[in-house]
Amino acid sequence: MIEVENLSKTYAGFQAVRGISFHVNKGEIVGFLGPNGAGKSTTMKVLAGYLPPTDGRIRIAGYDVVTDSIEVRKRIGYMPENVPLYADMRVTEFLRFRAELKKVARRKIKERVDLVEQRCSLKDVQNKIIGTLSKGYRQRVGLADAMVHDPDLLILDEPTIGLDPNQIRAVRDLIKELGQHHTILLSTHILSEVELTCNRVLVINHGKIEASDTPANLTKLVRGGGSILLEVKAPAPEVIAKIEALPSVEDCEVNLPGEGDWTTARVFGKPGVDIREDIFSVVRQNNWSLRELSRVKATLEEAFVELTQE
Amino acid sequence: MAWWTLYKRELSSYFHSGVAYVVLFGSAVAQSIQFLFIVSKVVEIHYTEANVLQIFFTWPLFWMLLLIQVPLITMRVFSEEFKLGTIEMLLTAPVRDWDVVIAKFLGALTFFLVLWSPIALDLTALQIFSSPPPPVYWSQIGLTALTILLVGGFYVSIGVFTSALTKNQIIAAVLCFALLFVPFGISLLRWIRNIDASLLAWVSYVSTPEHLQNAVQGIFDTRPLVYYVTVTILMLYLAKSVLESRRLKG
Repeated sequence: MIEVENLSKTYAGFQAVRGISFHVNKGEIVGFLGPNGAGKSTTMKVLAGYLPPTDGRIRIAGYDVVTDSIEVRKRIGYMPENVPLYADMRVTEFLRFRAELKKVARRKIKERVDLVEQRCSLKDVQNKIIGTLSKGYRQRVGLADAMVHDPDLLILDEPTIGLDPNQIRAVRDLIKELGQHHTILLSTHILSEVELTCNRVLVINHGKIEASDTPANLTKLVRGGGSILLEVKAPAPEVIAKIEALPSVEDCEVNLPGEGDWTTARVFGKPGVDIREDIFSVVRQNNWSLRELSRVKATLEEAFVELTQE
Repeated sequence: MAWWTLYKRELSSYFHSGVAYVVLFGSAVAQSIQFLFIVSKVVEIHYTEANVLQIFFTWPLFWMLLLIQVPLITMRVFSEEFKLGTIEMLLTAPVRDWDVVIAKFLGALTFFLVLWSPIALDLTALQIFSSPPPPVYWSQIGLTALTILLVGGFYVSIGVFTSALTKNQIIAAVLCFALLFVPFGISLLRWIRNIDASLLAWVSYVSTPEHLQNAVQGIFDTRPLVYYVTVTILMLYLAKSVLESRRLKG
């Protein structure tokens, strides 16, 4: 659906995107992650046909973004960051205007607007002036606008920013549902959301793609995919020395506060090795009291930090 | 037909905004006062509707109104979209830059004509309430209307262009006023004594007051027609180019 080859974008002397290449297949939900200023929004603006690329080739649904811009724009629904809307229009009026602009057949406009209002839970504010709506509603009007012409591809720049947890959940469910019929590229800072909705994650940093994989595979990259939380009654230096002596252990950190004589340690094993049994035998040999030994799965957040931090 | 959709939205947005009503009200009041005053002055002489129009359009108040109205109408057309970021939403819909420029131009021009429509009412009232009614010369009235339309298009296109230059509406309005003043200022040169004849020819070529004078007298001149249409197209082309270059810069 999206093929990006060697895309670069420079403006005002600053190279925001440096020769990135990636592709998104039909039907995928792809999460676009990266720190602020990494080039996410710029890339999305180029894909949506708003900014022309400085270099590189982009094809969406087989059409070139530069030479067949209009054809591309007919097939995508783009929701910009901060959702700019005409504040003086009413919700239904605005969506009708957008549907007409996006070449929805005249007899289908009412039906489509009704449908997207229903799906984005906008029915109760349909006659309100957009300027008077809360952030959450405006966000949903933006989403409704992006999908009003039933596009093949949805490009959503931070669709859940500024929403409350219930609204986030509703938008997440909506995105999942949309993902059954549409291809979706979305950017966000809420990593738990990506884990729950996306088939694949693209991590971008300093204008370059750092990783492209499923959320599960990305978390495996983080020091063997997780750590062991250990809480024993023993002095910290002794615990570190004894545990790190194990051949299957890579690292043992004691940076969590202990309670009294108790020491809480995080133990990282060699990739692909289950070290719980080894740790337990160390505990038994030293006759330490044990009150916790559990596996902590690596989160996407850790993967993100590892991939994007210097 | 993207421009038609955009045109409808553009026109309705005027009637959603407070500034538009202030301009509308201000213009209507100024025009009516001027009209009343002129009529009270000319009733003594043997007058026609063309006489009334002639005096109307040569009064300084008319020009002051025109030079203030147009920047106020056009300042928001692009500036507001840049400021609010809605331009991004607009230009990622399947529309051409030309559609946007034309729609904004025609929207502003339509509103401009709405502002001047009270004159038609005034003239109608003059027909109904004076006895005997003054003679009507349609060619003169028609030519005057055409000239107003052309001058309106010319001024509005300059406003659309200056609005595309900046996201600050005040700057757009001041810039527009300054640019509108150039041809108007040149037309004032004809009042200089001992002015060179060849220079005077140039002055009268761009002098909008003179063009209106001729139209009101029923003289049809194609030179101003070419002048206005050319500058209008040029300004709209520049507005479109500015729009493009703003996107290139990001």
